[in-house]
Amino acid sequence: MSAQEVDKKIEEGIKEAFPMTDTMDWNEVYQRIIYRYSTPHGLNHVKEELYKLEDKGEIIIHHIKPYNNPVKMQTLNGFPKVIPTTRLWQHKSCGQCGHIPGYPTSVFWMMNKMEVDYMDEPHQTSCTGWNYHASGASNPVALAGVYVRNMWRAYEIDYFPLIHCGTSFGHYKEIRNMLVLHKEIREKLRPIMRKMDMDIVIPEEVVHYSEWLYTMSKKAAQQRKYNLNEVRAAVHTPCHVYKLVPEDTIYDPDVFQGRRPAAPSGTVQNFGAKLVDYSTWWDCCGFGFRHILTEREFSRSFALFKKVIPAVEEGKADVFVTSDTGCVTTLDKSQWAGKAHGFNYNLPVLADAQFAAIAMGADPYKIAQIHWHATDVEGFMRKIGVDVDDYKEKFIQYLADLREGKAEPEYLYKPHRKIDFYLSVPERVKWYKGEGQKSTSSK
Amino acid sequence: MAQAKGILQLPDDPRFLDMAYDVQGPVPEEERNLLSNLNPQDREIAIKFWESVKSDFRFNEYLRGCLNCGVCTSGCPAAKFYDFGPREMIQYMMRDEVDKIWEFTNKKVWACVQCYTCSMRCPFNNEIAGLIMVLREYAVKFALPSAKEILAPYRRVLYTVLTMGNQVTPDMIQPDSFPDWGPQAVEESKNMDVYRKAIPVDLMQRTDIGWHPSLQTAVEMMTIMIESGVMDSLKGVDKDLYDMIMDIYEERKSQLEEIKQKWEKGELDESELPDSWLDL
Ligand code: SF4
Ligand code: SF4
Repeated sequence: MSAQEVDKKIEEGIKEAFPMTDTMDWNEVYQRIIYRYSTPHGLNHVKEELYKLEDKGEIIIHHIKPYNNPVKMQTLNGFPKVIPTTRLWQHKSCGQCGHIPGYPTSVFWMMNKMEVDYMDEPHQTSCTGWNYHASGASNPVALAGVYVRNMWRAYEIDYFPLIHCGTSFGHYKEIRNMLVLHKEIREKLRPIMRKMDMDIVIPEEVVHYSEWLYTMSKKAAQQRKYNLNEVRAAVHTPCHVYKLVPEDTIYDPDVFQGRRPAAPSGTVQNFGAKLVDYSTWWDCCGFGFRHILTEREFSRSFALFKKVIPAVEEGKADVFVTSDTGCVTTLDKSQWAGKAHGFNYNLPVLADAQFAAIAMGADPYKIAQIHWHATDVEGFMRKIGVDVDDYKEKFIQYLADLREGKAEPEYLYKPHRKIDFYLSVPERVKWYKGEGQKSTSSK
Repeated sequence: MAQAKGILQLPDDPRFLDMAYDVQGPVPEEERNLLSNLNPQDREIAIKFWESVKSDFRFNEYLRGCLNCGVCTSGCPAAKFYDFGPREMIQYMMRDEVDKIWEFTNKKVWACVQCYTCSMRCPFNNEIAGLIMVLREYAVKFALPSAKEILAPYRRVLYTVLTMGNQVTPDMIQPDSFPDWGPQAVEESKNMDVYRKAIPVDLMQRTDIGWHPSLQTAVEMMTIMIESGVMDSLKGVDKDLYDMIMDIYEERKSQLEEIKQKWEKGELDESELPDSWLDL
């Protein structure tokens, strides 16, 4: 079957399965969903309670301000969600920075290109959610403490937190709800935070970078360097982005008729690629937290048989786009071993940020760092017209120069001072933005 | 109507409905005791364990009822691979089946991949994956053998997360432990230094940490872990690791205090500090 025939069949299938799509009353659907996701606390959304706690002086809310250039989006239950688009505090992901470094660097690169104000600091820990979901070796107060400590740092310098990892995003939504709904957790946490001269800060929204990217994607796509019309992209939406606390994820009628999360499918679409469907779109990638480290037969089999093969066989996909640390890792690293059994799929796997940055002309090695990927990302880039060989040659030279000390590392933003690696000094933003005097103790 | 009379009268609370059994509701305590296969010692811990889980503040919020419909298990990735399913767990919980929950916690609960598919699909809106996490948390707290077994190969990750707040490190990908990640990973691990240098963000250029947190951040993180009781639970599962982390904490805390004091007085000579506190 040719690709067009497959598309036609899928379209017919959708019509058949949802014959009333065109006459659907979305308000009625939303009403039903509100019921479905209602909590035993009798709230439509935990935010109702959040504002009450602020009034009582129990917590500090980090509000989204006009200078964050907020954009209003929609969620599953009809509640609006506000996405701040600038003055953002980068909440990095341990797995991205450790094993897919081109993921955060693509985000920074895009922000530079679109003149978005951001801060990336050493005063951040990971959410510790990976460890928690794998081992259970934590507890609610500790998890809340880690969350609030990070949120405090962003609040203190008035940059709105943007969460890079899908698990951090889902996990923080859950922790936020717990903090808001359970006084006993706040009461246990407060003295711990006070000990560190901090208080309980909760940001008004928990925002995933993929939501920011989708919100910005039409604007970003105007700077596209390569034509993606011929690209058939399958999307895997990360479970922790939309199944964990579903009511805080953005949806858009323009993306799969509002039936699936807007990001990252909408981003792929807005960049001009053809979005393809496959029957297991809903399934998890196989990461499993502990499984990817110590139980990899599961991760490999699941990723290959339940995700990669359906995406290629049913959707004729030539790239897999996703938006989480664990999903990129699992889908990308699980394909190589399949070769030994004759499953040679080698479907390129990219994070939406890398996909977008490459399309906008980012250096695939220095910025998108695609050499950390195990799948055939180069093949994908050749298809869209990237001069892979030229970039590669220059990068190999750069590596050699770095090794021999002939080149200095290049940076996306000004490197930190030594003091920043030790203390979080109050005037750090002023220094970083080049506004402040020198720190009293620096040379 | 004549037919309607014969219909069994069911209790009002849907939490007690269970179509698989003639008698509805939880099995009485005496009966459960008689049926137990556990030795008295285990039985005692099993009861204590279950009572702790049930008294957790999340329990009633997460468990709202069960149709026994199996929707959770039908979408569960782990159920496709292992002898495991969320439905059985929820059913045991609904009926207070201490022995079964004990067995489930010791043998099966670690199979779950925490995808939250079950939670999103459950018509009763149970927070099933959250309940699994509650079982795991208490398994660690009770230092159950299954928790110890699970945590053993996980020591390094625990060490990194508890001392630096990062969970994985670039250099943990070694060819002998990750041969299935392909030749690319092998190449990277051999030349990790230069590959990391070529990342255009200064915080990400080390091989032993995903990004470089500040000393203050690391100490604050450890403070949270100690004050919230995480370290206390770790003590029961891995005493050596506990001792090591506590030593590191004391040392770093005093380093931080010294640097902070000097900085506040304007007496800090930065040139005396190494580029990274990790090299202190
Ligand atoms: S969260 Fe666990 S139990 Fe639930 S569907 Fe996923 S693997 Fe299965
Ligand atoms: S989906 Fe919900 S109601 Fe159905 S068996 Fe699972 S826990 Fe019970």
